[in-house]
Amino acid sequence: MRRYHLVRRADSQLKRTLIYYAAGILISLAIGAVILACLEINPFEYYGRMFTIGLIGNRYGYKSIEGLLKIFVPLLITSLALSLSFKMRFWNIGGEGEFLIGAICASCIAFNSTGMPNFVTVILMCIAAMLSSGIIGIAIAALKVKFNTNETLMTLMINYIMLYVIRYLGDTKAPWNFFLRADSERPIFGSFPESAVMKGIPLGPFTLLWSVLISIILTVIVYVYLKYTKQGYEISVVGDSSATAKYAGMGVGKIVLRTMFISSAMIGLAAALTVSAAGTISDTITNDVGWTGIIVAWLSKLSVPAVFVTAVLISILQYGCQAAATQYPAIDINYADLLQGIILFSVLVADFAANFKIVRKEDAKNA
Amino acid sequence: MEYAIELKGITKSFGPVAANKNINLALAKGEILALLGENGSGKTTLMNMLSGIYMPDSGSIFIDGKKVQINSPEDSGKLGIGMVHQHFKLVERFTALENIRIGMRGEGRFVHGADVRKKIEDTAAKFGFDIDLDKTVANMAVSEKQTLEILKVLCYGAKIIILDEPTAVLTVQEIDRLFAVLRKMKEDGHSIIIITHKLNEVMAISDRVAVLRHGEYIDTVVTKETNEKKLTELMVGRKIELNIERPLMEKTHPLLEIRDLTIKNDEGAIAVDHINFYIRGGELLGVAGIAGSGQKELCEAIAGLRPIEEGQMIHEGESIVGMSPKKILDHGISMSFIPEDRLGMGLAPSLSITDNMILKNYNESKGIFVDRKLAREEARKIIDKLEIVTPSTETPVRRLSGGNVQKVLLGREIKSGPNVLITAYPVRGLDINSSYTIYDILNDQKKKGVGILFVGEDLDVMLSLCDKIMVICHGKLQGVVNSDHTTKEELGLMMTGTLNIVNKEGKTDGIAKDSAFTGEEGSLS
Repeated sequence: MRRYHLVRRADSQLKRTLIYYAAGILISLAIGAVILACLEINPFEYYGRMFTIGLIGNRYGYKSIEGLLKIFVPLLITSLALSLSFKMRFWNIGGEGEFLIGAICASCIAFNSTGMPNFVTVILMCIAAMLSSGIIGIAIAALKVKFNTNETLMTLMINYIMLYVIRYLGDTKAPWNFFLRADSERPIFGSFPESAVMKGIPLGPFTLLWSVLISIILTVIVYVYLKYTKQGYEISVVGDSSATAKYAGMGVGKIVLRTMFISSAMIGLAAALTVSAAGTISDTITNDVGWTGIIVAWLSKLSVPAVFVTAVLISILQYGCQAAATQYPAIDINYADLLQGIILFSVLVADFAANFKIVRKEDAKNA
Repeated sequence: MEYAIELKGITKSFGPVAANKNINLALAKGEILALLGENGSGKTTLMNMLSGIYMPDSGSIFIDGKKVQINSPEDSGKLGIGMVHQHFKLVERFTALENIRIGMRGEGRFVHGADVRKKIEDTAAKFGFDIDLDKTVANMAVSEKQTLEILKVLCYGAKIIILDEPTAVLTVQEIDRLFAVLRKMKEDGHSIIIITHKLNEVMAISDRVAVLRHGEYIDTVVTKETNEKKLTELMVGRKIELNIERPLMEKTHPLLEIRDLTIKNDEGAIAVDHINFYIRGGELLGVAGIAGSGQKELCEAIAGLRPIEEGQMIHEGESIVGMSPKKILDHGISMSFIPEDRLGMGLAPSLSITDNMILKNYNESKGIFVDRKLAREEARKIIDKLEIVTPSTETPVRRLSGGNVQKVLLGREIKSGPNVLITAYPVRGLDINSSYTIYDILNDQKKKGVGILFVGEDLDVMLSLCDKIMVICHGKLQGVVNSDHTTKEELGLMMTGTLNIVNKEGKTDGIAKDSAFTGEEGSLS
């Protein structure tokens, strides 16, 4: 017999949520510390390096910031894009696939852009990526609207399809395959010509890439879009109750198609900016933003300002873990992934605990 | 008398709503007890406490004279109680046999054991079930699924069977077959509770009838010593002298005319069957009928949310058949439907009052932005005018109490100045005071010359409030009567299909003499 059951807390207090989050992070760091201690690494030293993302005592500290931003920009844009579709209760878990198709199409332009002006190339790359990702998104939305297919499955499958497409491109040595380096016998992805590599504003030795500015402007646009525009209003109504939306005379199908196009196109944009900043493409170019973005969106409760903050924090966690891991021969990047996983898991549990409580059945009756 | 079940002082509340108040009910061994009550009178809640889905806040349950505590459906099963829910609980992908098998305890590890099949077949034969055990549930008709549900609880050894509105989904012939099975079960010593609000069925099958009203236990009567009239009185309640105002207005031309309208429900069965009626300006037309007689489908069709099969809908001489909901709205027809969960259609529960105010006209402001300033003003106006209790205009509608939710909805509907107002169950679940506010709102609209279609539940209210009442039963028109020249008894008989006065001499058949239809079918002015 089930003695205990879950009850949603009547009130959700920000203070309690923050305390639970802090507790969750501390517990996960403690678990990580035990593992580090077993490997004979001083956990305090390690965490010190992690949270300063390798800035302290580093002559090339600006490189750390640049590296951090390269992780941050795609994560931020993808999380915003996913929030958009989640707000409509459209479970787009195809961020990875939408990102990859965008990256492939942007690279098509990039590899063939020798001699073109940099500005034009990058714009073309962005357009190609947004269109290709957007079309994938709208196709899945159309299947949902027309035949009521399950969007979770469809978007999930697109991840694998696109992953294998890019692996095929990366493994197939053939005369037509301009993705690969011509001077190598083994199949290796080539580097973009200078014309396709993202430029930025030089601030001393540090370069602030245009993509960073674009992502921040995009955050503001999405915030205004969701909060103040008619289309944003339609998204909230459809997400809240599609029966009500229909009753109010909204074209629910049209809204779903439009929103999925915007959402996927934004992920495509993130992909174009990423490959352009990296100057190359690979099958790990997504850095799992399609998955991490889901976590960011939900941890933020789909609120745009919260998405921004969460994306910053998760980027610091990711980059800091990597940066710290490189300093110790005993551990590698996998430990960084492990620690990240533990922290995210704890935060999700903390979030759950902040919203629900476990009560005994007898108490429930009196509650 | 020996009782299979005795309920004493059962109370159950959901938040501030008391679904059951101090209920006492007894089911004798080997009898069929009908549980009668209007929608929302707490029948299903009460039965869910017997089947372990809910637990009572207070009161005690006795099974075979012993006090028991039912904490889960499993407990309930062990006590020999089996419930056949209104919405079937079957695994669509499984066969009949597998569906029965998964809930069986102590029959070995294998699903398709020969002894299991034999046991099920024996039970089926004993009660005269006709069922193909290897058929997948997804391929079954509704009546087959129900047969399977009943067989399932019998195979689990239930001695007390509860059926929640089993006849709602069945045809007349299927109902006869079901009743034959129920009688066999009774002969075999089973005790049965059947929930229904169809009086003719109550008279046909039950030994005794227990009546609930607004969550309270009213009485238990012996079926043989009562009749449909008396039961209607018990169910609807006769006390509470309602003094609802009914301003008499100069009636204008027919605003909305419905001819030969046929509509199907979600399952593809005929929900509304060749109905004729019309509404004049300054007239309040009530629609009375047992729940599920086609009211929802009718409202949805007029609002353009549901395609029609046949017939015509004319608004001020212009056909609205096939128009989009938006266009019908622009024509001046406004529909508000309060579903059972109160929030499902018409409101976006997580959005604020402000945002809900502009649900239907957010698109009218210029530019790409939503005009929230205007919306906030309108929200404030309606909050003041209808005395809506809320912390602010930005409070999500979900947080408001039922009465206030309904005021928000009606407030928005009348704000756009419609000339036909369709409103279904606007006082559903409201206390007397809130209900009166809603009646006043409707009367104000009537005084403005709006034609109102009022789909209601409470006959007393309808008799006082409506000018005319149209009665439907199983989607068929039973007649349109003038509130001053009818009685609750007559309405009750019409609602249950016992009386049909369409085309009777001197009675209206739902076609206006000064109709905007000028000639035969299709040729409109």
